Amino acid sequence: MTAAVEPSRILSVEGLSARYGHVEALHPVDLHVEAGELVAVLGPNGAGKSTLMRALMGLVPTQGSVAFHGHAVPRRNPAKAAAMGLVLVPEGRGIFAPMTVAENLELGAYLLNDKQEFARRHDRVMTLFPRLKERLAQTAGSLSGGEQQMLAVGRALMSDPKLLLLDEPSLGLAPRVIEEILQTLGELNRAGLPIILVEQKAPLVLTLARRAYIMSVGSIAAEIDPRQVKSHDELAHFYLG
Amino acid sequence: MLDLVAQSILSGIGVGCIYGLIGIGFCVIYNASGIVNFAQGAFVMMGGMVTYTAFARYGLPLPLAAALAIVLVAFAGVVLERLVVRPLWNRGSTMFVMILATLAAQIVIERLALLAAGDQPRTLPVFTDRPPLRILGLAVNFQFLWIVACSLLVIVLLALFFSSTKTGKAMRACSINRDAAALQGIPVSRMLALAFALSAALGAFAGILITPTQYTAFNVGVPFAISGFIAAIVGGFGRPLGAFTGGILLGVAQALAIVFLGSAFKNVAALSILLLFLFVRPTGLLGPAK
Repeated sequence: MTAAVEPSRILSVEGLSARYGHVEALHPVDLHVEAGELVAVLGPNGAGKSTLMRALMGLVPTQGSVAFHGHAVPRRNPAKAAAMGLVLVPEGRGIFAPMTVAENLELGAYLLNDKQEFARRHDRVMTLFPRLKERLAQTAGSLSGGEQQMLAVGRALMSDPKLLLLDEPSLGLAPRVIEEILQTLGELNRAGLPIILVEQKAPLVLTLARRAYIMSVGSIAAEIDPRQVKSHDELAHFYLG
Repeated sequence: MLDLVAQSILSGIGVGCIYGLIGIGFCVIYNASGIVNFAQGAFVMMGGMVTYTAFARYGLPLPLAAALAIVLVAFAGVVLERLVVRPLWNRGSTMFVMILATLAAQIVIERLALLAAGDQPRTLPVFTDRPPLRILGLAVNFQFLWIVACSLLVIVLLALFFSSTKTGKAMRACSINRDAAALQGIPVSRMLALAFALSAALGAFAGILITPTQYTAFNVGVPFAISGFIAAIVGGFGRPLGAFTGGILLGVAQALAIVFLGSAFKNVAALSILLLFLFVRPTGLLGPAK
């Protein structure tokens, strides 16, 4: 069987930079994501990974261009970017803590007005994260850290993303929970969902990602194939420059 | 004496409902944006003045005039957001600048009302023109019943709006975490405009309800805004139900101060309550919203 001939590049970013006040937190970067890919963004704390995610969504003032499926992603309009299918699970999860789990999921599907489709997506999230099912009526803030991360991912899936961006989903979680979440992300990706996964702990994603960008002091220092990385020393070399 | 006290508590509750509605208006905008909208009083004044104009000048039936006023004032709320708040917001101005801008807007609206409608106080007829009911020896006039019933109705409707509609939930999401709300595709700036419309409509409604028992004029806005602001602080800023409770507490305290100390002490009582809460319980009755 031959694959249909179509441009496989879904996201292309050129010269994207971001500044907070007078500080350029993200120096111009270029990156791209191909259809069905899981791309990792690695780097130490403060390398600009979260800023890159926020810049992609237009949450911070930026320069440069972001194109998604050939259409320009508007700057400074994250709601519009979300409507295009670019969905970010932000650092710290960004769940609506005083609201119930059910309400959080409902807001994930804010742009959807089709009840049947809503039920379909809801079922899918419940299948992926059965633990959320028992907690639908609870406030999101009462969940454990792992459950909150599942809710954040579940909420993002409710919008049926075309590209899922995750900013350090492992932060503050127990290894067993991290493994569970990464496994789910792997499943989603194998089912065709392109993912950008930001991580500080590189070893976590090396088995999942086919490509990884290494960030350092506000810019992309290297692009690597994680499968080629033989040792932690080699990776440390990229981190330390 | 006891009768007099009971009677003034009753009238305090009536005025308190009005303060409470205005206080809720403060909360709605504050929750959506963090802005304390000092033009809130202008909405109250406009509610009464527009209703008067439509009713007395143009001969519209009172309910229609009131409905028209609420819609027009809600629209004025959106205009205020678009014209004054949004440009500052987009430029990344500090909260302080935006709050001062709403105060400036209050002055502008007040002066425009003076130019357009003159400085004469206006009033509206009571909604039900019948002698007061006598309940347990107390005279309960119909306007009081209108005020209390309408206020409670508005609160129930608001609670339903925020708990059961998608738009209401989206507004709550914006108040909890604006960035996260935007990431769900919620049009955050449209929610802000909606908050101004809702808040303005609440103010106008309060202004219409209270006008038959008092009067309205170009300059009634500021005193009402101050009372509503105190109600919101007493309740715990950003907590609608708290603001309503705070409003009633304030109304009753003022009424009692008038009975026992004389009418000159009305504002003393209001500001004393404010100070008392700021010293003893700065988070208000229900605690802060965030």
